[in-house]
Amino acid sequence: MPLQKIAFVIEDFAPDTPSQQLLDRFLIGYARDGEFRKIPDLQVAAWLAPAAENASFVADSATNLAIRERDLKLIQPPNLAVAVTDADAIVVVPAVERISVSEESLKNVLERTPVGSACFVHGCLAPTLAGARRVQSIAVERKLSLATGTSVASTFRLPDVDASEGAPLTEALIVVQGPRPMAELSAIEGLSPIVARRGGGESGIRSVRRLNGRDVWRAGDSDDWSWALLNAAISRSNTTQGDALKDARTQDLVRLGLVKKLAREPRGWIIEHRDGLRSTILVLDGAIADFNFAVRSRDGTITSAQLYRPPAPNRAEFDRLAAVLEDFFATRKSPWPIERSFLVSQFIENVAA
Amino acid sequence: MKPQLKNKTTRREFIATVARTTAATAAITISAGCAHVKTAPRGNTGRKRIALIGTIVRKYSHAQHFVDRFLEGYGWRGQWHRPQMDLVSLYVDQFPAGDLSRDREKRFGARIYPTVAEALTLGGSKLAVDGVVLIGEHGRYPRNEKNQVLYPRHKFFREAVDVFEASGHAVPMFQDKHLSTRWDECVAQVETSRRLGFPYLAGSSLPVTWRIPSIEMPLGTPLLESVSVCYGGVDSYDFHGIETAQCMSERRAGGEAGVKSVHAVRRENVWKIIAERPDTQRLLMAALARSHSLRSASEGYTFPVLTLDWIQRASPLVIAYFIEHNDGLRTTMFLFNGAVRDFTYAGLTREGKIISCQMYLPMPPAISTTADFFNPLVHHIEQMVLQNRAPYPIERTLLTSGVTLNAVESLHRGQVKLDTPELRVVYEAPAQSTFWRS
Repeated sequence: MPLQKIAFVIEDFAPDTPSQQLLDRFLIGYARDGEFRKIPDLQVAAWLAPAAENASFVADSATNLAIRERDLKLIQPPNLAVAVTDADAIVVVPAVERISVSEESLKNVLERTPVGSACFVHGCLAPTLAGARRVQSIAVERKLSLATGTSVASTFRLPDVDASEGAPLTEALIVVQGPRPMAELSAIEGLSPIVARRGGGESGIRSVRRLNGRDVWRAGDSDDWSWALLNAAISRSNTTQGDALKDARTQDLVRLGLVKKLAREPRGWIIEHRDGLRSTILVLDGAIADFNFAVRSRDGTITSAQLYRPPAPNRAEFDRLAAVLEDFFATRKSPWPIERSFLVSQFIENVAA
Repeated sequence: MKPQLKNKTTRREFIATVARTTAATAAITISAGCAHVKTAPRGNTGRKRIALIGTIVRKYSHAQHFVDRFLEGYGWRGQWHRPQMDLVSLYVDQFPAGDLSRDREKRFGARIYPTVAEALTLGGSKLAVDGVVLIGEHGRYPRNEKNQVLYPRHKFFREAVDVFEASGHAVPMFQDKHLSTRWDECVAQVETSRRLGFPYLAGSSLPVTWRIPSIEMPLGTPLLESVSVCYGGVDSYDFHGIETAQCMSERRAGGEAGVKSVHAVRRENVWKIIAERPDTQRLLMAALARSHSLRSASEGYTFPVLTLDWIQRASPLVIAYFIEHNDGLRTTMFLFNGAVRDFTYAGLTREGKIISCQMYLPMPPAISTTADFFNPLVHHIEQMVLQNRAPYPIERTLLTSGVTLNAVESLHRGQVKLDTPELRVVYEAPAQSTFWRS
């Protein structure tokens, strides 16, 4: 079914925010499969529902949208209800500093969304598992196809690897950077699609263990997480910090013991899945500056890659997400199970606790 | 031992081509069977030893990237990799402020020798290393009337070969980027490697780095046209752009047939030619669609509407090289300064299919700290030294060097089209892919 009208419900709109990166790809076009694709005859509407009280920021967002209304025929309806009327696809994007829109806001959107539409929520569905389930129940009632996620889940991998379908994975690790909980959201978004391919599929989270500071290293030294997987993940990094900043040297950060020195305020999360898989998330500001993962199979084989996030301002990983969304909106078939969103919300709930 | 390359050109053809085109190289004498490669003496560890000859070693210089990977190691196939050989000696031509070679000598014991010969002989009288790496890139060197930087690439090569000849044996050699600023020297270097029988690998990291998407040109593809898009300067990054296209084009049906003309043009002349070439326009758009660095057309936007009009406006100082191959293939290389900052490729098959990708360079300092596109290049050097076999043919670099030199000449003479009979460099690409994919 050709996509005719897409409505964005956004909390900000400034260059290089997720809302701008996504909206512009449907308004202007985006690179897909080696071509620049503009969805023909697509109406794009945007309803700005500012979450921030900062008046100048709201004004800037309004100005940026007004430029697109003038130049590119962006529709700016007077209210949310008009924005989503007749839309066959809805995209909800929280402000750049937030991992989700409020539950009330999202409910408000979903209750006005035309029955049978597709809705994508950028970030996480809700910051709690119960909240995510409540939101999902509204989507079910209204026969909406619902998906959530970020560009990390669908970005390029270097190398272009994936866990094979049904792979007997025993352990996974991802290393990221950034403030809590944004870094943790990126990490679970990056790792979930890979480990969900294991034999038996995703079984859910049994427990989450939080680690801070030296406890991160002690846990590694006790084999509560795997230094070998961290080594494999970091071997994929192009952004080692420390001496590399000074003179561009390559360095084996793990074996030289530099990870502990460079990451002065590490955070770690050990997720025990119900089927026994152990996933570790390490937030290591100061050691490297890109996202890298490694997974181990039962036979000991380690697969690793960088989750490549292309440079600003293009941020071409949003091309990949836009392609996923275009297909989702055309088919009404969610690109990944809603249970992944529940898992993300459950993890984020633990992170925020 | 002869180089283990699948050369389509016979030795006789190659010599004939060279003899037709340059007086200097006409003097080259080839005596078949005079190759002298043998295993060079190793250190007490049993590990192979290599020497690196570089212009300067400072942060982000090419020599720094190579030196550090041999000394410190690098990420490879999901683990930290330490080369199975020791970088034991250096010759460094210049020591500017910020020199790092002395720090590396102190920390790792890779001794800096005062001459190329001493670096190769470790101060003795005979060749004492198992491989030689020549990095003639960066540093303060004079320019000629064509604005080419006169890096001492040929000088380094010649001095290394003098040691080979004096020692009675030769070892594998890698040379960074294009072979020289003079065609006769380029040819002489390749001929010398054949005469002495040592594996000779050269070129840039573009053919071997990551590709996004991770694709290869299928061997034997009926290719009609190739386009590469890049940025940077003449006699500099243009070479990378040419290599970007050539590593794909050489896999076409029939293999590489050589180049019959090179025409380098600037600004509005580019668009006059492009206006008559719809397939080139199509490939240009396809290559640009693989870029991750398109400059936005307007304030407040983070990427442009990808059109021919946009690229014309975004890069008013465009330079393009129009290259005609002997078998009818066309290659166009664009330098779009101001519009892009990456390297992309698109090729058109006879069936009308377009094959395109980005040759991804995680370039410091903008998006990386360690220029890891040198990892696969260093890996190939290691394999060459260990296996005594170049992983891909030196003819690629000979041809890309020749195209670069002719493009510089074309611009120097006022954007004239140059016939290039001397570039009848015929070869076949190895079946095995050599780009970074694991």
